[in-house]
Amino acid sequence: MQNDDMNEQDQDDPQIRALLKDYPMPQADAGFYDQAFARATLISSRRQWLMAGFGSAVAAGLAVWLIGAQFMTVPNIPDVDSTIPGVTVVLEEPRTVNLVFSSATPLDSATLTVSLPDGIELAGFPGQREISWETSLKEGRNLLPLKLIALTPVGGELLARLEHDNRNRVFRLRVDVS
Amino acid sequence: MSAADNKLVFERIVRPHFDRLFRLAWRLAGSKADAEDLFQELLIRAYDLLDDLVSIDQPGPWLCRVMYNLFVDERRRFARQRMHTVEEGCLAGEGLAGLPGPDDPDYDSQRIETLQRLDRALDQLSDEHRLVVLLHDTEGYKLTEIQDLTGLPVGTIKSRLHRARARLRDILTADGTIS
Repeated sequence: MQNDDMNEQDQDDPQIRALLKDYPMPQADAGFYDQAFARATLISSRRQWLMAGFGSAVAAGLAVWLIGAQFMTVPNIPDVDSTIPGVTVVLEEPRTVNLVFSSATPLDSATLTVSLPDGIELAGFPGQREISWETSLKEGRNLLPLKLIALTPVGGELLARLEHDNRNRVFRLRVDVS
Repeated sequence: MSAADNKLVFERIVRPHFDRLFRLAWRLAGSKADAEDLFQELLIRAYDLLDDLVSIDQPGPWLCRVMYNLFVDERRRFARQRMHTVEEGCLAGEGLAGLPGPDDPDYDSQRIETLQRLDRALDQLSDEHRLVVLLHDTEGYKLTEIQDLTGLPVGTIKSRLHRARARLRDILTADGTIS
């Protein structure tokens, strides 16, 4: 798309504008759009189905309670939680996963605690489900490489809790095992 | 309409805008992982609002506004505060991954280095400045389009644009990228 509002903005710093114009446009991965579309219609339909089911249940009252065990089942649609980032690791094969924390300001003496799901270990910390250490974050992106090893094919959710100045934030990462 | 008809109608309306919406999501959220989340959230929300969507003359700007509002509403979730994962070696210049590599005849090491420095400089801007400068100078949005999207007065957008460019100039001059 060409920018056609020719005004004083276009006289401002042509060198910087030329650099920005050359800055690449992000592209989605192949297949992402199709997956996102399928998920959106599935989740929305499931939500509508559940709402309709709930409405029927309220309307039918006691009868529904009586037959509920038999009929009030949710269709077998896989759960999709698109809000949690995820990684896939291979069973018993160490994989380095880089966690990136973006911080608007430098944070000194922050405490980072990583809680691992059952069956996932951090290389060098055998048998430990929770590892905690003090760290400092610089402004911008901070990289934390974690070498994960899956000992069982179950997977689960890894939690990273960052605490600083009596405030904390918990980040979640889904770990799947293939 | 049946569920299948709804899907067809929805797809016919939204698919032509996917590339633009994904780029907007990336510019808003600042990373690929968060852009994918935001894009997904938008599609879920838009499908819920299909009855409204079918009656809109220009769905593109409407979808962009819904996405922007989603981003603002859930800023704590999307605004560069979340943990995300990257493959080893891909941290700097995540959005530069599609550029020609060293084995490509079009590979230009100087250009890649300049863009990587620009990427790092952009990362030092505030979210507000980075968004405005990327939408206007990279994506080619008009000032009025940014106004429609964000609800900000044009004067504020111009001011942010000017300051963002000035800050980029300072950073890129200091590191020797430009003189």
